[in-house]
Amino acid sequence: MKRCNRMMVSTLSVAMGLALSAGAAAAQDCTTKIGAVLPTSVDWGRPIAETAQFVVDQVNEAGGVAGCNVEMVLRDSQVDPKVGVDAAKALVDLDGVQVLLGAVSSGVSMPILTSVTVPGNVLQMSCCSSSTAFTKLAEEGKTKGLFFRTFATTGVQAAVGAKVAKDQGYKSVAILYKNDDWGQDLQNLIAKDFEALGITVTSATAINDGQPSYRAEVTSALSGNPDALYLGLYPNEGTAAVREWLSLGGTQNMIMANSLKSDEFRDNVGLQYLGKAFGTDTASPRVASADSFVAAYEAKFGGAPNGPGLANSYDATMIALLAMEAAGKDATGDQIAAQVARVTDPAGTPVTADAAGFAAARDVLAGGGNVMYQGATGNVRFDVNGDVSAPAVVWKFAEESVEEVEYMSLTDVDDFIASLK
Amino acid sequence: MIQHLLDGILVGAVLSLGAAGLTMVMHMLRFANFSHAELLSIGAYSALVFDALFKGISPVLAAQIGLLSMTGALALSMVFSMVITGISAVIFDKLIFRRVREKGEELSMVFASFGLALIIRNAIGLIFGLQTKLYSQDIVFATVLSRDPLVLVKPDQLATLGITLAIILLLHLILSRTIFGYALRAVAENPSLAQVNGINLQRMIVVVWVLGGGLAALAGVFYGLNNQITPVIGRDLVLPIFAATIVGGIGSIYGALLGGFVVGTAANLAVMVLPSGYSPSMPFLIIIAVLLIRPNGLFGEERT
Amino acid sequence: MIGLVSYLVFFAIVASILAIAVLGLNLQWGNTGLFNGGVVAFFGAGAYGTLILGGGPQDGQLGGFGLFYPLALLGGMATAGLLAWGVGILTLRLRHDYLAISTFGIAVAFENLMRNAQWLGGGAQGLRGFNRPLRAALGDGFLYNILFLLCVLVLLVLTYRFLETLVASPFGRQLRAIREDETAARSLGKTPARIRLTAFVTGSVIMGLAGGLYGTFYAFVSPQDILPTLTFQIWAMLIVGGAGNNKGAVLGAFLIWGAWTASGWALSRFAPIEAQLYTGSIQYILIGLVIVGMLLWRPQGLLPERLVVSQLGRTKT
Repeated sequence: MKRCNRMMVSTLSVAMGLALSAGAAAAQDCTTKIGAVLPTSVDWGRPIAETAQFVVDQVNEAGGVAGCNVEMVLRDSQVDPKVGVDAAKALVDLDGVQVLLGAVSSGVSMPILTSVTVPGNVLQMSCCSSSTAFTKLAEEGKTKGLFFRTFATTGVQAAVGAKVAKDQGYKSVAILYKNDDWGQDLQNLIAKDFEALGITVTSATAINDGQPSYRAEVTSALSGNPDALYLGLYPNEGTAAVREWLSLGGTQNMIMANSLKSDEFRDNVGLQYLGKAFGTDTASPRVASADSFVAAYEAKFGGAPNGPGLANSYDATMIALLAMEAAGKDATGDQIAAQVARVTDPAGTPVTADAAGFAAARDVLAGGGNVMYQGATGNVRFDVNGDVSAPAVVWKFAEESVEEVEYMSLTDVDDFIASLK
Repeated sequence: MIQHLLDGILVGAVLSLGAAGLTMVMHMLRFANFSHAELLSIGAYSALVFDALFKGISPVLAAQIGLLSMTGALALSMVFSMVITGISAVIFDKLIFRRVREKGEELSMVFASFGLALIIRNAIGLIFGLQTKLYSQDIVFATVLSRDPLVLVKPDQLATLGITLAIILLLHLILSRTIFGYALRAVAENPSLAQVNGINLQRMIVVVWVLGGGLAALAGVFYGLNNQITPVIGRDLVLPIFAATIVGGIGSIYGALLGGFVVGTAANLAVMVLPSGYSPSMPFLIIIAVLLIRPNGLFGEERT
Repeated sequence: MIGLVSYLVFFAIVASILAIAVLGLNLQWGNTGLFNGGVVAFFGAGAYGTLILGGGPQDGQLGGFGLFYPLALLGGMATAGLLAWGVGILTLRLRHDYLAISTFGIAVAFENLMRNAQWLGGGAQGLRGFNRPLRAALGDGFLYNILFLLCVLVLLVLTYRFLETLVASPFGRQLRAIREDETAARSLGKTPARIRLTAFVTGSVIMGLAGGLYGTFYAFVSPQDILPTLTFQIWAMLIVGGAGNNKGAVLGAFLIWGAWTASGWALSRFAPIEAQLYTGSIQYILIGLVIVGMLLWRPQGLLPERLVVSQLGRTKT
């Protein structure tokens, strides 16, 4: 009898052991999907998608989210709203994603928000949609707390740009801006800021996508004889416009929005002409761990994470995955959205922007604590409308990448903006 | 004002070259070929490849010619690129247009050309990547022609204009003075009658495509020289080139030249009158204005 | 399963809206032979018109009249019709490839206008602040979409019946007459210019209806929605489906929109991970191949035009 019992006990324990290990193995074998609708067929869109996938790879390296592997299902928005919305709907209905990264242009993000993610209770995290319409929508309560963007509001960018002009002593500035919602916003805001500082805006010229030549626009900007040129452009048309500007004898005093922080732009224009070109951007945290993000990025892609939207895309993806981890397995979109505040809590434990940081965050969250994610764009903190404000930095181009010229903390930025009113 | 006019002509030179090729194809083959502008893309990228090749083979060629940013390697590459583009144009015709011509009507060819344009543009994007490329990263500074009123020109653009004028003149002479030119025009006017006279229709069609492709390649290289090289060159230039062709009148080489200048100038002058946000509409408003006065373009003739 | 149904309903809504636009184009090209290269302008006029008339007030912008929805939709259609009337008077006399380019140019100018005139349509930010009809009562979910689909289908069927009747009517015969042989028609006392204008405006009003429904469904419209790519998509639908045949127009819309969305889905699902970044370009190449292939195989479209015989010949006894 005793032998029978002992055999039963050992069989039982072996069976339990097998069951447990099978359960653990099963946890590693599960896959959670997240969706991404990004413009991969446009030159600046592809690196944004690459960066998002990079984050997913890092998180999987650290063991996945809530014990499951993360799979990012990527769809091209083709910068066409109906294609983007359809892709988003397919991701939500057919793939069952609870988190959607996207889109880049506000014209695509907005209809996705109103017709897919809000009705479907899915978290939508945009790296780069800049339209103020989203803030208004959130104020009206129509986003149900489901929409976030890691793109610092254009108002900060404009104010810092104006400050650079004042600090450099420019009395007159010509503006060249991209003729989309971001550029139009930027131009509206910075023109007001320049005025408030007593700087004359000699001209504000819209640059349309895909024109054979920007000669006419550059000539008309030149005609006002400005002290400096403000550029709210992307690398593609920025390169064309600046090369034209320089070859026609335009001044090398330039102020650039963060969209021009790109190696491609620097190489195609030439470092020798960019000595007096200052750019604005949101600041990365002033901690050594921020360098590990840049190092990891360079190791993977062979170049610094400069380029429109890359750092924002990284943060959007990472925050979404952190929130998913906090919400636990099988969480729905609104539950995940509610956890975003937990992972971006200024009083929480700081974690870095890499695989190790994710693992550390997992432990903190499991213990019931909060996390402060120190992202590639800074200590990301969302306000009640899902917008971010961040400290600012003034930079200029250097041999290898960019170097920082000045840092403005969040208080400095807020004070300066207040002084402009 | 003078600067704008001058800019218009300089920018328009590239459009004129593109339009010259398109006008020949449209006149001869009687359909609006929306993939013609993609040939400019093919020309620009092939020249890029050959340029890198030649620079690697012989550093002597990498020296710039005079004041221009064009190198000897690029000049040589232009010739090769014209050949490649001409051959590509013939291949596209054989594979697609000829078959659609036999089965369908004009609209089918227009649509087939749209589909072809999508394929070429995205294939180039896949092969070469979507980033902006340049033949030479050096910025060549403009020369000041006169101080007051301020008139600036870039040497590259002057060279482009000069070569364009020379090529157009050459083309016109060929078409109006040589037997070969007569044969080409005959086939465009009345293919059956021309064949009765012993002209080989198929060979003439091949020639038109080669010429059109060669002109497009040249235009593409000049565009890349004066601006930058991206896979969407075709998408960006297709409508200004169409505008130039139509304004000039389909079938007229001099019309194409003038049309290019008109479109280039219109875009430049428009900035003086309208906010630059409206610049893309300018070529069309010009077309509508010209067509209301002369329904067949400036030099075009009533189509039989 | 419920997810699949929900997606299919959503897909069907968009496909039906586009099908209405294709029907409008069919009247213009298939029946009357007018090469309208600016489809998106009339579509966009309908969308913007409906949202401006039916939406809430926005600061610094025209609009916010908050009209009762059916009125707003009719207003959008009227805007499209008015635009078409003006464009038609200017350009319909041109030969057809010039007409295509001119109308294309009008569409580009319209997009430029909406992009730059911030007081008119919100500029590049687009026009928001529109509440979908009955949203307060029905919420935003699956139920709403089903009802919306039913409404759109009803409108699609009504448009289809209207056009079929038109084509079989004396007016339809006039259209065919001026398309086939204008001089003969004129010799019989018909005024081709006026007939063409009527067909053009009617077709554009139908496109305006589609645009209004589109804007309503997304509750938002921006210059991104009125780029030339839409004109190309509508044309592809008509060419593939069969120009001159209303059934073909609807079939083409569902097929092409289905191919467009399915190719994106299939690439994201089945392409290897390394190729995922390139699927955008690959999708365009596939679409180009479909168009070219279709034209090589069956250029008249899947359902070619059927000649309508209005009166059977009677033999004299």
